[in-house]
Amino acid sequence: MTAAAMLRVEELSRAFGAVYAVRDVSLSVAEGETRAVIGPNGAGKSTLFNLVSGHLTPGHGTVHYAAGDRLRRIDRLSAHARARQGIAIVFQSARLFHGMTALENVMVGAHARTRHGFLSAALRLPRHHREEAAITADALTALDRVGLRDWAHRSADALPLGQQRALQVARALCARPRLLLLDEPASGLRAGEREALARLIEGLRAEGLTMMLIEHDVAFVARLADRVTVLHLGRQIAEGTPEQIRGDDAVLAAYLGQEAPA
Amino acid sequence: MNKPTTQTRSQGGPPTRARRAAGKRSPAPARTPARLAAFGPAARLRRPRVLAVVALCAAALALPQVLPASDVPVLVTLLLSAIVVTGLSMLMGYAGQISLGHAAFYLIGAYTAALLATHGRPTWLGLAAAPLAAAVVAAVIGVPLLRLRGHQLAFATLAMQLILLNVVGQQEWTGGDIGLQGVPRLTVAGYEFSSATSYAYLTLAALALVVIVTRNVVASRPGRGLRALATSEVAAESAGVPVVAYKLAVFSLSAGFAGLAGGIYAFYTGYLAPGSFPVLLSFEFVVMAVIGGLGTVWGALAGAAVITLLLQELNELGTAEGMPGSAPAVLSYAVYGLLLVLVVLYLPRGLVPSATAWWERRRARRRSGGPHDDSPAAGAGAGRGADAGAAAGKGT
Repeated sequence: MTAAAMLRVEELSRAFGAVYAVRDVSLSVAEGETRAVIGPNGAGKSTLFNLVSGHLTPGHGTVHYAAGDRLRRIDRLSAHARARQGIAIVFQSARLFHGMTALENVMVGAHARTRHGFLSAALRLPRHHREEAAITADALTALDRVGLRDWAHRSADALPLGQQRALQVARALCARPRLLLLDEPASGLRAGEREALARLIEGLRAEGLTMMLIEHDVAFVARLADRVTVLHLGRQIAEGTPEQIRGDDAVLAAYLGQEAPA
Repeated sequence: MNKPTTQTRSQGGPPTRARRAAGKRSPAPARTPARLAAFGPAARLRRPRVLAVVALCAAALALPQVLPASDVPVLVTLLLSAIVVTGLSMLMGYAGQISLGHAAFYLIGAYTAALLATHGRPTWLGLAAAPLAAAVVAAVIGVPLLRLRGHQLAFATLAMQLILLNVVGQQEWTGGDIGLQGVPRLTVAGYEFSSATSYAYLTLAALALVVIVTRNVVASRPGRGLRALATSEVAAESAGVPVVAYKLAVFSLSAGFAGLAGGIYAFYTGYLAPGSFPVLLSFEFVVMAVIGGLGTVWGALAGAAVITLLLQELNELGTAEGMPGSAPAVLSYAVYGLLLVLVVLYLPRGLVPSATAWWERRRARRRSGGPHDDSPAAGAGAGRGADAGAAAGKGT
């Protein structure tokens, strides 16, 4: 990997009580890379995800992120401050905002890179009008991208699960992220929806978006990731290209020891 | 009325702005050919929602003149409640935070205005300081309070009010339990607000201001952030919404509205005591917000109107001649409670959203039954229905 690092995790640990969910995990994601983090249930994938996204603070270790031209430490920043730095998130559970249309849901994503607040909104200052128009246009583009343009003005609550995930991706894209984190994006999806999602991620990858993909499904990952990090019981047991990982004994043992790969 | 002509003219401002804003919120509907025709001021006037707003404003302006003098105080009370409830409805309906202590901010506004005025400061300064003081207090106590959620937040705000009532009741400078008397009348630029009618117009102007600010806030970037954090603080945070700051801002803004109403109240009654701001008043504000419909701007007005008038009627009925001695208690507690239960059972979303939904259903039925029912129109109809639903969620 010669490209500059976009995300660097060093000796990251987080314990819940006496149990380490993540222990001494180090990884570096290069700019433009699609990194998958896989592992059986309870491997610490989601904890790692939350440590990077800012929903958990590490007990130990650091997270650095390329903001501007150098790596900056972000592990003490709040989640919304990280969002402002260009990190966007797609949650595993569909965390859509109720009582809002699909378009409004996506528009929330633009919060990370827009500024106007209560005062400009209350007084309808020019800044409000400028930003609102731009946000609406960007949100419609993002909806188009995930094939949900027709849903724009309908309630997001009524969307089927597959489209809810797609809507979350649109929300993340509306933030124009530099790093996109996806937590088990394919879980619970039907074959067709999974295929559509895979194509969407491939498209983003082709555009050079840096992504970190937490996944349970090895087959899904093998197709999409440049490199794969394997966690088992909170520890990192392997890292390499999908091909290298498939032949790795430790990985096979970890997966086969508990359950067969999907 | 000699001076109030200027008063009425300044009243003319907000409704037109509201109307323009109401028309401007339609970039989305413009997609459908049916809505394209709906542009232009004349066409805009034909739209039922705009028509309703214009009619409401006209009625509001006429009301203090038309009503018998004895009913004007009821109108002032109603409008003051509506101001508080508009803020509370924004806090509860949009941001999902509960306050069972909003009368505390009403109290803070009232005492701020009264104390400044009785200490020889200009009364207009008191009125301006009232919302500011309430907002600042909310911003400070909101820091610990808003870490709590749901019931805990409700009880914490309730406790805050109880503490405040105790403190105010024991301090010498607040007049203790006896309170503050002889608050002068409000004077702005040489005009003294002395009659109930003048206060009705003043309160109307304040309500218009509060409604416009609320509407502008909820239908905007911060408004979307608030609605997002009401569903999921985690997801909102990751989308870049500064959840803690937003909760504080909306808490403080809604407290500021309550403070503004309190300031007007102080000048209107000329007398304040802790007993004027009981915990029951806070509950009443919450009831008004819920009955009117949370998450709607007009719901606050509807809720305040319905509950104020209902309480007034029940009180009159209970104290009417020939009624048994227990009538006031039975009516103002039992019948009131029963009505609330019925509304919550049968119109759980509140009056305004239920009415909007009924209206939309009726329109949809009429359209689908009409002679020009071809498929594109039906498609546009579905879109419009969804728009209206979304708009109702957004709060018109």
